[in-house]
Amino acid sequence: MNLPVVRLLMVFLMIGGSAVQAMAADTGAAWMEPFSLSGWADVIRSMRIRAPNDALTSRARLRLALDAAFGALCGFVSADAEKNWRIEEQTGVDLHEAWLEYAAGRWDLRMGRQIIIWGKADGVQITDIISPPDYTESITRDLDEIRMPVDAAKFRLLGDYIDTELIWIPVFEPAVQPSGDNPWAIEADVPETVRISSKDTVEPETTLKNSEIALKVSAYLTGLDVAASVFYTWDDDPAYHRTTRSEGDTLFVDYTPRHHRLTVFGLEFSRPWSDFVFRGEAACYLGKYHETKMIDMDPIQRDLFKWLGGVDWTPGNDWTVTAQITGADMIDHDAHLAGETHATMATLRISKKLLNQTLTLSNMLYYDLNENEFYTRSTADYALTDALHLLMGADIFCGDDGDFGMYEDNSQIWVKGKYSF
Amino acid sequence: MDKQFFKAAIVFTMILLGFSQVATTVAPLTGQQIMTRVDDRPNGDDRKSVLTMTLINRSGRKRIREVEYFSKDFGKDKKSVMVFKKPADVSGTAFLSWEYDDPAREDDKWLYMPAMKKVRRISGASKNEYFMGSDFTYDDMGDRNVEEDTHTLLGEEIVDGHDCWKIESIPVNPEEMYTRRLLWVCKAADMVIKAEYYDKDGLLKIYKVLDFRRQDGFWTLLRSEMDHVARHHKTVMRMDAVRYDSGIGDHLFRVSTIQRGAIR
Repeated sequence: MNLPVVRLLMVFLMIGGSAVQAMAADTGAAWMEPFSLSGWADVIRSMRIRAPNDALTSRARLRLALDAAFGALCGFVSADAEKNWRIEEQTGVDLHEAWLEYAAGRWDLRMGRQIIIWGKADGVQITDIISPPDYTESITRDLDEIRMPVDAAKFRLLGDYIDTELIWIPVFEPAVQPSGDNPWAIEADVPETVRISSKDTVEPETTLKNSEIALKVSAYLTGLDVAASVFYTWDDDPAYHRTTRSEGDTLFVDYTPRHHRLTVFGLEFSRPWSDFVFRGEAACYLGKYHETKMIDMDPIQRDLFKWLGGVDWTPGNDWTVTAQITGADMIDHDAHLAGETHATMATLRISKKLLNQTLTLSNMLYYDLNENEFYTRSTADYALTDALHLLMGADIFCGDDGDFGMYEDNSQIWVKGKYSF
Repeated sequence: MDKQFFKAAIVFTMILLGFSQVATTVAPLTGQQIMTRVDDRPNGDDRKSVLTMTLINRSGRKRIREVEYFSKDFGKDKKSVMVFKKPADVSGTAFLSWEYDDPAREDDKWLYMPAMKKVRRISGASKNEYFMGSDFTYDDMGDRNVEEDTHTLLGEEIVDGHDCWKIESIPVNPEEMYTRRLLWVCKAADMVIKAEYYDKDGLLKIYKVLDFRRQDGFWTLLRSEMDHVARHHKTVMRMDAVRYDSGIGDHLFRVSTIQRGAIR
């Protein structure tokens, strides 16, 4: 959406929403009751732990959301305004979600720009690939800030215990990777005799044939939730196809990033027992392209099986512990592939609330068992008032040149203020 | 048979009935029976209200939590939904609970988190967590099963002008958070209007009902407070917009409803 339109929308949200709420409060007018304005404003600044100890993250954001409910019909629109002192292209205003929903007794339909989250996993995507991720700041943003909305129609048939969900996404939305001057854009080392160039990414055109379709059946039973899904989609990440030519000792490699079709079959469950909830998720990615070790070799198509097992433990006294183990197994692995046959990662989240739940200390650890690398995010969140929170934390990357190790120089400590209304 | 015999039989029957009536009236109730009466107190087939909690710390600083509450009976089981309205950062969070009468059957619970746009199954056993930083645990607020404690009638006392039974309740499971509770049950309303909670270190919390009355034919709790003596922290709970038997649809208590992020 272009900038003036979004700016207008933000102004409409701010003025319209505030006016509606103020008038509703003053006059008690019944027609204004369906409207409600909410949102938050936050500001975050970090310091890199290693030299040059600069501010790796430095931004302020405002989220405004207006929703209106007229019986079975409901509308929602939210927009973001951001000033980013470190990644300039992030500065601006953006429409976040905008949808209309009709809810009947046994079915509902939501149409428009919306975030759709699937799965039982915590901080890991197995079947949860409807809304693509935004990795502009790698995975250092809060999980809810990483997921991007998609333009979709979501229809659900609602039973007492079983729901069937059908999603149609006519417009492809790719994942966002850091690029350009972004400090999270880490370029791979290439030999001096190699020259790399890249064409624009080939994205699927918006046609009916190129639509994405998902179907999911979920059951919520006594002591057990289970779901099965199938998603006919495009890979959110492009495969880097390449053409090469040699001139003397120099190899010229020209990348053509291209998104490919994927069919993903998924299964998930969660089952409580005493103070524990056991969770599991598995997905088979048919048609996935993988990078090769050779700089002049095209990506290779191999099916991928991803899985996760996890447990949430709430022992009481405001402690929460979540442990997960997750893996990605390549089917019919090829020796030329850069990725390993079996990749395994463990996660551990520990959280404790103190001072009558005004202070929350938490830590999320991702540990790559293949590369022996990790990323850990520690946070202290103190509620100064009901609306105003002060947060401090550290993002620590450790390893060599794997997914976490490549960001070792980006380890940072940060402070954040967040006001919700 | 002659008239004399009939008269004697009627008089005898009346005397017997009279004796049994007297016996019924004077036979003291046991603690278990009183707590069963409290548990069985009529409250309609469905109910909804807005619950406001004011959390007050030792320096007098206040925090406000507001929750919209719906519940409905399904036979002897109960389903309920709580939607958090305040504070703003948790607004829209919804908590769905299917509570079973059978104590051997674990409750089913789900939590919808608007920031994550996702419903999560949560453990049904974590009843000793404090509810949103208040001094009420989930167990204090929910329907604790009568069989989970041994109830002993200690006597009768007047509390705030109300004639009450004084009950001592000791958990069957010695691992529980409270070692014992002293409960004062208002005889007229079959409602606990005062309670003291003890743990292994002594008195932990004092609960008092500040206002209750009969509404739509049902005894209704309107205002209460929980004074956490050990933490020097207090929670005042107020119930507004209380309605019984308003015909809440079954669909409100489905996972798919809280998944929408709004209850309608």
